[in-house]
Amino acid sequence: MTTVDFLALHGLAVRKAAGPAAVADLLGLPEADIAAALDAAVAGGMAAGAKGTFMVAPTGQAWLAEQYPVLYADAREDGALNAAYERFEKVNTELLTLFTDWQTMPAGGQRVSNDHSDADYDRAIIDRLGDLHERAERVVGRCAEAQPRLTRYLERLELAYDKVLAGEIDYVSGVRIDSYHTVWFELHEDLLRMLGRTRQE
Amino acid sequence: MTEATTMTTLDSADRIIVLDGTTLPDRNLIGGKAWSIARMTGLGLRVPPAFVIPIEECIRYHENGRTIDDGLWDDVMTGVRTIEESTGRRLGDPHNPLLVSVRSGAAISMPGMMDTVLNLGITDEVEHGLAHLTGDAQYARDTHSRFCHQFGDIVLKADLDPYVAGPTADEVRAIVSEDVGQTIPDDPYAQLRAAISAVFDSWESSRARSYRRHWGISEVGGTAVTVQAMVFGNLGDHSGTGVLFTRNPLSGAAAPYGEWLPGGQGDDVVGGTHAVQDLSTLASSMPDVHSELINWATILENEHLEVQDVEFTVESGRLYLLQTRTAKRSPDAAVRIAADLVDEGFIDPATALQRVTPEQVASVLLPTLADETVAALSPAASGEPACPGVAVGIGVVDPDEAERRAHAGESIVLVRPTTSPNDVHGMIASVAVVTDLGGSTSHAAVVTRALGRPSVVGVGDGVAESLEGKVLTVDGGAGRVYVGELPLQATKIEDHAGLARLSAWAQEHCPISVLTTGEATDLDTSGIGLDAETGRVDAPALTQALSGSDQPIRGSVLNTADGVVALLESGVTAVVADPALPLQLRIIQAFAKNT
Repeated sequence: MTTVDFLALHGLAVRKAAGPAAVADLLGLPEADIAAALDAAVAGGMAAGAKGTFMVAPTGQAWLAEQYPVLYADAREDGALNAAYERFEKVNTELLTLFTDWQTMPAGGQRVSNDHSDADYDRAIIDRLGDLHERAERVVGRCAEAQPRLTRYLERLELAYDKVLAGEIDYVSGVRIDSYHTVWFELHEDLLRMLGRTRQE
Repeated sequence: MTEATTMTTLDSADRIIVLDGTTLPDRNLIGGKAWSIARMTGLGLRVPPAFVIPIEECIRYHENGRTIDDGLWDDVMTGVRTIEESTGRRLGDPHNPLLVSVRSGAAISMPGMMDTVLNLGITDEVEHGLAHLTGDAQYARDTHSRFCHQFGDIVLKADLDPYVAGPTADEVRAIVSEDVGQTIPDDPYAQLRAAISAVFDSWESSRARSYRRHWGISEVGGTAVTVQAMVFGNLGDHSGTGVLFTRNPLSGAAAPYGEWLPGGQGDDVVGGTHAVQDLSTLASSMPDVHSELINWATILENEHLEVQDVEFTVESGRLYLLQTRTAKRSPDAAVRIAADLVDEGFIDPATALQRVTPEQVASVLLPTLADETVAALSPAASGEPACPGVAVGIGVVDPDEAERRAHAGESIVLVRPTTSPNDVHGMIASVAVVTDLGGSTSHAAVVTRALGRPSVVGVGDGVAESLEGKVLTVDGGAGRVYVGELPLQATKIEDHAGLARLSAWAQEHCPISVLTTGEATDLDTSGIGLDAETGRVDAPALTQALSGSDQPIRGSVLNTADGVVALLESGVTAVVADPALPLQLRIIQAFAKNT
């Protein structure tokens, strides 16, 4: 197993079900390399795939669970990275609150579903997302000093936020697209797997 | 400074505009915030005194290499003097301190503009004066450290955690200095100058620039700066702060509804940190203020022809309006208010049809559990309501299994300890989601709201999994889960007073005939117009497929804005959808937007 083989399976685990292009995009690696690695993973029983979409097989999950503590032993001992992760959690908490504020809005002491009819309300949240994005840039930047491939997440977050600014508001918390929420959660999942931590909520 | 010289300076201050209601300058010159203040004062309503530095000064500031020139600063000083005269307080005077807010205001609102800085003018000395004036040393300390936090965050761009009460102003200053290498000035005029510069600078923030680029907004422009006196809701017995809705935002009933917090200041009401009272308390303690408030709110509703959400403060028995805006409302209220405003002669039916979204109608029509149904039942699990709606299905823990069984035609409720991105496919496939852990901001809550799946979160350790294999009725609005399939009650359009009226108007105004039954080409089965890869609407393909067809059509693609635009462009004259009203509104609103 090479580093690319490991990363391809790890990236697939983070994305859950995806094709080589999406996994390559997440890792910032050439698609051809990932496609070859995923084909090899299927051949070796580590992954299952149909019609260009792959998933990690139970064998692959077990193998990943063995690999993480070994391959990320240094990362797990890295004080700066762990400190950066603590700040990541803080930004995470604020982002989750923001997503709730985005999806619901106050009406007379209760919260009702945000129908996006109030442009000012939406704009204020998009602005807050921009503030949090600036904080995310710093904290992910600090994580990326230890793990350079994480800068790819910053690029994807930037892309999602730029789409939001351009009026594609699905890119705040839409589920089936690379929304800010989707990318952020993949980043969270990636960090949790690397650092051997479990999700707080 | 003597009275006479003050007057002379006032006359020559032509680079700022005092918002005293004598003129209503163009919104494009002074920004929305200042315009709204001028409009309220123009109606004879009392707002805290304010002045605005117009947008052209922002342009000049950038032309001058980001400098506030002496001429402008002199006029800003004159503006401050007029506020001091109106309030009888002075900036930086510890015995009788004036505090102000500083806000940005571009002609077109855009992200990236500087947020509001409140309580500007507070210093170590003023903090002591404020403690004396309000008789509340804790409040004075808190106001000071909150100001330092806000100034550090917004003006100096320090990376700070959200504000929590506790640290002193000095402690906050130290954190800010360490992060950005700049200190928060302890001089009110230095604070004001820095805040005005920060507003002007925000016009050039990267976020604002990319927003303008996306929307084709000219780079030639800027943001105005509004400086307004702060009023105190905590100045003795006859003070307080509150919010008034001109109609009930939950039920839509045509009676004022609001909250009042005696002795409250600023965000106390909005922040939800204090126990608030209803407006009848204000009516009994200060009847004159209450009736003045109701009068003013009515004036605002008549002026805007729309329900208003009015923030107000009473300082020593004097009522001030802080802000008015269109009130947010529940789907029920949206329907009722739109219909009522037509009946009361404020708006015409065509306007009412623009005021209610298809989603709001769909939400009113969602099936619910009757109170009688659940009165005698105890829920198998209860937790935090995360996404409203009721759904029935079989409890399944494993998301892969949920997806598989859902595709085979079963109705599935996903029951899990917690959810992560790895479970999203299972959430998409399920009709409802229940989790052991998490609150209203958890992953499960965020994703289910995005998907519109009823969900209950935080039902307790191990509880959700114990529901596996059972038939469940999930009430996402109440946060309860029942074992067994409970009968649902559906609202019918014709039985709902507001919906029935909207429906009659929609029938008249809809350019395409929407039938509830009949033969129609089903776009869902043919897959026309949907991009197979993304599941998103392929509008050009849809328009092309529909063009020239005289057959009525139906399909979920019509539940999207793009789908309806394609429909309008295709020339199709009839569609089938039940209920018809949400689709009619979508068509009417798309039609109005494109013509």
